[in-house]
Amino acid sequence: MTTSRRTFVKGSVATAAAISAPNLLKAQSGPGKARTVRAVLHGDLKIFDPIWTTANMTGNHGLLIYDTLFGLDDQRQVKPQMVETWGVSDDKKTYTFTLRDGLKFHDGQAVTSADVVASIRRWSARDGAAQHMFKRVADTPVKDDKTFQVVLKEQYGLVLEALGKIETNLPVIMRKKDAETDPNQQVTTKVGSGPFMFNEGETTSGQRYVYDKNPNYVPRKEPPSGMVGGKVAKLDRVIIENMADEQTAVAALKAGEIDFYEIPPIDLLDQLESDKNIKLDVLNKGGNVGMCRLNWLHPPFDKVEARQAMLHLIKQEDILKAVFGNPKYYRTCGSLFGCTGLMQSDVNAGWLSGGQDIAKAKELFKKAGYDGRPVVILQATNISFMNNAALLIAQWLKEAGVNAELAASDWGAVVTRRAVKKPVTEGGWNIFITWGSGEGFDNPIGFVAHTANGGDGWFGWPKDDLHEKLRDEWALAGTLDERKAIARKLQENAWNYVPMALLGQWAPPVAHRANIKGFIPIPAHVPFWNVEKA
Amino acid sequence: MLAFIIRRLLSTVVVMAIVAVFIFLLLHLSPGDPAAIIVGDNATPAQIDAVRKQLGLDDPLAVQFVRWVSGVLTGDLGISIFSHEPVNKLIGQRIEPTVSLAATTLLLAVVIAVSFGVLAAWKVGTWVDRCVMVLSVLSFSVPVFVVGYLLIYVFSIKLGWLPVQGYAPLEDGVLVWARHLVLPSIALGLAYVALIARITRTAMLDVLSEDYIRTARAKGVATGPVLMKHALKNAGVPIVTVIGIGVALLIGGVVITETVFNIPGVGRLVVDAISQRDYPIIQGVTLLFSGIYVIVNLLVDLSYTLLDPRIRY
Repeated sequence: MTTSRRTFVKGSVATAAAISAPNLLKAQSGPGKARTVRAVLHGDLKIFDPIWTTANMTGNHGLLIYDTLFGLDDQRQVKPQMVETWGVSDDKKTYTFTLRDGLKFHDGQAVTSADVVASIRRWSARDGAAQHMFKRVADTPVKDDKTFQVVLKEQYGLVLEALGKIETNLPVIMRKKDAETDPNQQVTTKVGSGPFMFNEGETTSGQRYVYDKNPNYVPRKEPPSGMVGGKVAKLDRVIIENMADEQTAVAALKAGEIDFYEIPPIDLLDQLESDKNIKLDVLNKGGNVGMCRLNWLHPPFDKVEARQAMLHLIKQEDILKAVFGNPKYYRTCGSLFGCTGLMQSDVNAGWLSGGQDIAKAKELFKKAGYDGRPVVILQATNISFMNNAALLIAQWLKEAGVNAELAASDWGAVVTRRAVKKPVTEGGWNIFITWGSGEGFDNPIGFVAHTANGGDGWFGWPKDDLHEKLRDEWALAGTLDERKAIARKLQENAWNYVPMALLGQWAPPVAHRANIKGFIPIPAHVPFWNVEKA
Repeated sequence: MLAFIIRRLLSTVVVMAIVAVFIFLLLHLSPGDPAAIIVGDNATPAQIDAVRKQLGLDDPLAVQFVRWVSGVLTGDLGISIFSHEPVNKLIGQRIEPTVSLAATTLLLAVVIAVSFGVLAAWKVGTWVDRCVMVLSVLSFSVPVFVVGYLLIYVFSIKLGWLPVQGYAPLEDGVLVWARHLVLPSIALGLAYVALIARITRTAMLDVLSEDYIRTARAKGVATGPVLMKHALKNAGVPIVTVIGIGVALLIGGVVITETVFNIPGVGRLVVDAISQRDYPIIQGVTLLFSGIYVIVNLLVDLSYTLLDPRIRY
């Protein structure tokens, strides 16, 4: 048997068509590339309940598929989102809210007051700011399908701010049947009323998470601003890719395989900046604030002088430069509330303007009665900021005559050991490094690292009664000016008793293809409404 | 033969039991707390404690071990702490990319390595032999991720011929599937090529000095049949042995290659699980890998009887 050239060509074309057919059919079933954005965010999405966890990846998921009652605009003013109208009684104890028209869950059911009340009740069991508010909440009655109330036992100044908070745990509105899940259990369904819908069929756990435009979403009429305004989905599909390797993600962005990369590695920013197809933008203006948590339970940091010594010992500039390189992405900061928020001030922050003073730190450690015992610093070697900061602090401590020891491990081990309250000799610790969002730092109530209630508080367990009293006063204050004044008192007191030491503030850019536009700058999260692809 | 297979399968059970105990203790005694990771950095100690209790992580180690082993004996590898999905299902979702990568790498490596090994042995002492040896030393010395990044830079960024990352399932079409596997297979296979090529060369050199080869040549048998039919088959036992041993190398390499090329396989699954201390996934995948390794080596032992009729079990 002989094969002619024509037969061979025919056969080849038929074979190629046969093996490509499934791919072609699949390509026709999804939205076009021009209306799809592929994004690599800062991690993998493991938990789908934004009320349950404080993980920002889950927050991103929450902002895509859920909506919130209120939100902060780009001037950090509270504005309604799902709420149409609201009012407060003369005694300022009863807030009445009415939902706007057209709110529907992705399963087609209307959003009702019963869903809202169940959701905020669930949130009150998980979130610090919500718990602070709900200590003062007497009831949350449902008046009708669109009207509900929050009835307080006493006046509380932050009701709307709490319901509109951007930091996790997010006060998103779920279906009543989901929100009634035990608050200690995660909600695993993904049905919200937000501008995008979760596409379970196209999602592969650990690889990609697919969100399609919600055709039934009715955006507000106002222009988008921060977390509020018209959340118009201009894309048909958003795909969140889980890409662990930074180098690969950068290569994929350069090759156009992904459109957006949330945290490109700092050392490759110059390379990305020189590529005309890629743009760098700082979306999260408040960025993050680094902190050095000091263990109050054991020497030497059970003594105020040793904690004060840390303020004079740490040179923020050196740590920030080592990690972030380019000064346009970082700043030194002496404010307890971060240096980009409404509560910032330079009260009692002379330790920062005075610069690093190892001799003074040495003297303060001596006054604290430091006896040469090892001071253990938990060093998370897999996270560049924590690793570099730990190395530099250990070096400075040694220069100040302190027997600093680095306990190297990955972050997963640090989060276990930091919970140990026992002395260093029994597996405890003295210092660990972490950070919080600039937005979080600006809120004395919502941010868990601002607690100073001892053993019941956050890791390091600082205790100061005046601090706790001022935090309560801040929450009850009626105006922004009153809150700013109380924040100044909080800071003045804090830099005397030193709950922690600060390590500066940074706001690195995101990288995206030049043909993508419309990102709304909000803290800690990446919203995809208003985003479009040219 | 049957008795040998049964004995080996029974020993496989013992090996996997030892692996199970070892990996369980190693994970649970090393630092790390999935409860602290799962609730996020800003969670309070009370929230972390509640999750730890809910997940049963505060139960005595023996209780946790018995709970896990009871499931394993019924084929249930447990539930992922983070995604709440069964580990069996997660492995099932991820197995195709890993099998595809391993199979293409193995095929590519064996074909190239055996050819180069035979060539080097045939041209021993010449520049061809030296080139093959130098290349194999280089291939063995350069880490997988370095090769991976170089390949991505040249073939994806500069030339734009192949995708940087990702995996396309077979159902998307053979061509698109193959396009995604070319670079990862080369990156992963290089060390394997080096290993097999060197062993092939050595084994072939031993066989080529045998009397029966000289006799075949004296009878006028052409070089091709001498090398491929008479020599290679008799040099097969050490080559197949090193291919089997190399499966461990391949498994280790798969983990790194899947990360570099963003392939959603079992390797990536376990890397993500390790960073989050998702114990059931780590335990399940380790058991799976150890089972594969033991079975591959059993198959290698059985293949000896095909290569050398003198071997009997």
